Amino acid sequence: MTHRAYSVSEHLFLAAAVISGLLTVAVFCFLFLFGLPLLQSGQLTDLLFSPWAPAKGLYGIYPMLKTSLLLALLSMAIAFPISLGCSFIITSLAPVRLRGFLLAVIRVMTGIPTVVYSFAALFLLVPLMRNLIGHGTGMTILTATPVLAMVIAPTMILFFVNSFTRVSTAYTLATDALGGSETQKLLYVILPQAWPGVVNGVLLGFGRAMGDTMVSLMLAGNSIGVPESVTESARTLTAHIALVMAFDFDSMEFKSVFVCGLFLYILTAVLMMLFRMSTAYFSGRK
Amino acid sequence: MRKLFEDCITILSWFAGLLLITALLFLVAYLVYRGGSSLNVSLIFGETAALDALLLKRQVFDGIFPAIAGTLLLIIGSMFIAIPVGIAGGIYMAEYCSGAIKSLFNLLFDILAGVPSIIIGLAGLLLTIFLNRHFQGQIATCLLVSCLSLALLVLPYLIRTTQTALETVDPVIRKTAPVLGASRLQNITLVLLPNAISDIISGIMLATGRCAEDTAVIMLTGAVATAGVPHSIFGQYEALPFYIYYISSQYNGPDELAQGFGAAIILLILCTGLLISALWIQRRLTTMLLYR
Amino acid sequence: MEAPMKIKTQSLCFYYRGKQVLHDINLQLPANQITAITGPSGSGKSTFLMTLNRLWEEIDGCSISGNVTMALDGQLKNIHDPSIPVRELRRKVGMVFQQPNPLPMSIYKNAAFPLRLAHINDKSRIKESVESVLKQVCLWDEVKDRLDDDGRLLSGGQQQRLCLARALVLNPEVLLLDEPTSSLDPEASAAIEELLLSLKSQCTLIMVSHYQDQIKRIADLHVKVLNGRFHIE
Repeated sequence: MTHRAYSVSEHLFLAAAVISGLLTVAVFCFLFLFGLPLLQSGQLTDLLFSPWAPAKGLYGIYPMLKTSLLLALLSMAIAFPISLGCSFIITSLAPVRLRGFLLAVIRVMTGIPTVVYSFAALFLLVPLMRNLIGHGTGMTILTATPVLAMVIAPTMILFFVNSFTRVSTAYTLATDALGGSETQKLLYVILPQAWPGVVNGVLLGFGRAMGDTMVSLMLAGNSIGVPESVTESARTLTAHIALVMAFDFDSMEFKSVFVCGLFLYILTAVLMMLFRMSTAYFSGRK
Repeated sequence: MRKLFEDCITILSWFAGLLLITALLFLVAYLVYRGGSSLNVSLIFGETAALDALLLKRQVFDGIFPAIAGTLLLIIGSMFIAIPVGIAGGIYMAEYCSGAIKSLFNLLFDILAGVPSIIIGLAGLLLTIFLNRHFQGQIATCLLVSCLSLALLVLPYLIRTTQTALETVDPVIRKTAPVLGASRLQNITLVLLPNAISDIISGIMLATGRCAEDTAVIMLTGAVATAGVPHSIFGQYEALPFYIYYISSQYNGPDELAQGFGAAIILLILCTGLLISALWIQRRLTTMLLYR
Repeated sequence: MEAPMKIKTQSLCFYYRGKQVLHDINLQLPANQITAITGPSGSGKSTFLMTLNRLWEEIDGCSISGNVTMALDGQLKNIHDPSIPVRELRRKVGMVFQQPNPLPMSIYKNAAFPLRLAHINDKSRIKESVESVLKQVCLWDEVKDRLDDDGRLLSGGQQQRLCLARALVLNPEVLLLDEPTSSLDPEASAAIEELLLSLKSQCTLIMVSHYQDQIKRIADLHVKVLNGRFHIE
């Protein structure tokens, strides 16, 4: 086996990949470096669990943390059943001609800018919320929830459909020949085989829900306090990063933004590792 | 009992589909209703004559032409950087990489793809600050920084698309050229890439759409509310998504609001147009290439 | 004496992606007998089987013209008539595929699956049916101690017998078999052939086969296929 020297272009390919990989790490390093003073000065628990009150010298990101989690979980609670139902329709329940059309519609939905969703919802949902709650601006966690659900649903649907259609046709045709209905095929043959794909889709959806900026920025109100109920105005981690545009780059407020950033980055990394691990685990078991 | 359960699932699934489609239609209808009236030339060019504006002779102050120009420049700039790096990286991943290193890269690119866009914007901002400290006051958030950040944002998608496109080339086709004496590089450039080109192009279009629609990154790296058409890549600029965001909280009167809706419609058409072309290209080009 | 007719096709044509696969088939297949269908590969034998349980409807690009009538529940019916839901038809017309396709579940659940699909939930009845049908295909002794094992772990011949058992558990009136012994060794084949003969009393069997001597042994009617056209021997 002779060792061939890589030509120039092949070196370039390698360089491209390496640079891209390094950049991923670099982002983390930047966040870490800039956030270091805050991490070192305050205790980590203080940061994570105390409220945000710069006047009192408190730079805790707890309110934002709680809001992000609440919003992500709520919108997943709506988006997951809807996505599952839609993926059922596209995979089996709809007549064959309708399936392609629905799939195309969902694909196009993934291209709709989140800022467009939020803009429309701002003038459609917010007044509605204001009337429902009776007071306040109408910009609350609850207002942002259905919009965020609509943002993450198409991606999850595509992911689920992909997993479902990969189930071997030997199984699905056998079930058809035995007189199984489409729903029975889905419930008793396809889902048991494809549920790792569903789990992965949920992980991805949750990651997207936590990472979205515009929906929460424009619809959730951005108040600083810790939200006690979903009908309150609140601020997510991502909105916080967008809002704290302090010009004093050395201020503690600005530095708190890096802690948010670090948290989100680490969360993403953990989710992705879980994703990879679960894929490997389930394909290994087959 | 079980039959009841199965029937419930069927009904609920249809309900879910109906709900989603209705919500979508409602959204689009509402946008058209509120913004349709403002869709005319003055939305884009304001008081200035169209030709003058296009030739950059005169500034446009009350039209969204600068924002459209800014978005287009963003797309061009970021794709100019991202496409070569993304495709090269994808080639490396598909053809030259294997084993533990491949798993590591896969994980890194997954992370990069999953990182919230605002973090990428933050990274761009930090880079600017960092450079600012070293090249005193010369670097500020600008079009260049935004293009670099957006390129970073879509890089993992391009790498992943190229990688997948190359990896799914028919194994038979993959082995043909080497048998005839072609080098690995020749195989890639003359056989594999052309074969995978439709998927790669569609991936590029999807990435372009992503650049056009993103707001979070550009918010932190140079987009502002009024800047006119940027004169250099070191200047600040306007962009459609940011304009829409800005208008949502700062509109003066119903006319400006209608303009905001108009801009939303234009952005929607741009992004879905790119997406539909991507899907169309993927289908058509494949058929053309296979049956030419 | 002429056996009563079970299946009748009139001017049956089948198209796949625009290409015509079956040409104007007019057949009358007798009840409670074994009809063997032979012919070169690609001549349309398996496709014909699929027209009898409307399975072609699950595959993209297929269409048919013409009529298929069957005597089911004592009545002559067009199988495309809306009064018979396709699921009911498939419970009465069982199918065994050429490649064994046990579902990804235990042996017991595989055999019991059609009952579950038909919403029969009585556990003791299910147990009885499964045991009886596994005994019928001569699989019971081999698997009775490992009914919870995954069906895919069985040998090829056992898998095929499991699929046969699965097709029999709802007592179908017609059984469609696509080369049922092609993946079996001679002993297993002989066992299956005996089984098929014994099944004549309870259902009508339509069998695609490559083996001339098998046909001589067990078939009552022999249909030859060439290029999508059928003739009776």
